[in-house]
Amino acid sequence: MASQLLPLELIDKCVGSKIWVVMKGEKEFSGTLMGFDDYVNMVLEDVTEFDYSGNHTKLKKILLNGNNICMLIPGGDGPTAVTS
Amino acid sequence: MENGTATQGEGRDPSGFLSEIIGSQVTVKLNSGVVYKGELQSVDGYMNIALEKTEEHVNGVKKRSYGDAFVRGNNVMYISAD
Amino acid sequence: MADVDDTASGPVSEPLDLVRLCLDEVVFVKLRGDRELKGRLHAYDSHCNLVLGDVQETVYVVEEDDDGEETVKVGSMSLWLYSCVNWQLQTINKKSEMLFVRGDSVVLISPQGSL
Repeated sequence: MASQLLPLELIDKCVGSKIWVVMKGEKEFSGTLMGFDDYVNMVLEDVTEFDYSGNHTKLKKILLNGNNICMLIPGGDGPTAVTS
Repeated sequence: MENGTATQGEGRDPSGFLSEIIGSQVTVKLNSGVVYKGELQSVDGYMNIALEKTEEHVNGVKKRSYGDAFVRGNNVMYISAD
Repeated sequence: MADVDDTASGPVSEPLDLVRLCLDEVVFVKLRGDRELKGRLHAYDSHCNLVLGDVQETVYVVEEDDDGEETVKVGSMSLWLYSCVNWQLQTINKKSEMLFVRGDSVVLISPQGSL
C-alpha cells in the first residue's frame, strides 16, 4: 500500500509557502504560512483578508483561530487568482 | 512533526507568535466582525485575551473604549500584530 | 502559551486574572445576540459562567417603523445598519437582583470603573 500523507503532514509541507484559507461562513484569507499547531491555529504573514462584500484587507502577521477554518488550499493566492 | 518549536524560529508557530506580541499593539477580530484594538496583556490556550486601552470598532467605526477588556476565546477569529 | 515572565507579582499573567480582579466590582459584559449587562461580579469560573448582582440588562432590537408591531431581533447590528433604512433601533432595559450567565454566551468582560 502506498504510504499515506496525513492531513497535518500536508499542512506541514506548506510551511513557508503561500496558502489559501477558506473559513466557515463568508470569509477567506491568503498569506504565507509561518506555522501552526495541533488545532490548526495558524500564523500567517503578508495576509489578505477577503470579505463577503469583496473587500480586501491587508494584514502583516496574524494568528488565525483554527476553530472556524473550513478548507486549506496549498499555494493558493486567494479568490482573486481564481476570478482573474 | 508539526509544532516543532525547536526547528521553527521565534514567532513562527502560534505560541511563539503570541509570546512575541505580548505587550504590543494588536487588532483582535471576532467572528461577528467586531474589532478590538489594544495592548495585548495576555492570551491563554483557549485564545481568551486580556487587552489594555481597548477600542471597539464596528464596521470601521469606533463605538466604545475600555480600560481593560477580557475577550472570550471562542469568539476570536484572528489576532493581528499591528 | 502562558509562559509569560511576569513573575507571580504580575496581576494579569493569564486573561482570566483580569476577571478575577473584577470580583466584587461592577463590570460591563457583552453577550452574543446584542445583549449587554452591567452588574456587580459575585462569582465566575473558567467557562466564564458568571454570577452578577444588581444587574441592568440592555437588549438591542430593531423594530419596523411603519407597522410598528413586529419586533425583530437581529444577530448582528452591522447587518441591520446596511439593510434596513426604515427600521428603528430599540433598546430594552431589564433589571435583575441576581443573574447567572452561562459562559458560552459571553463575548467580553470589562471592569466598569475604567469605562
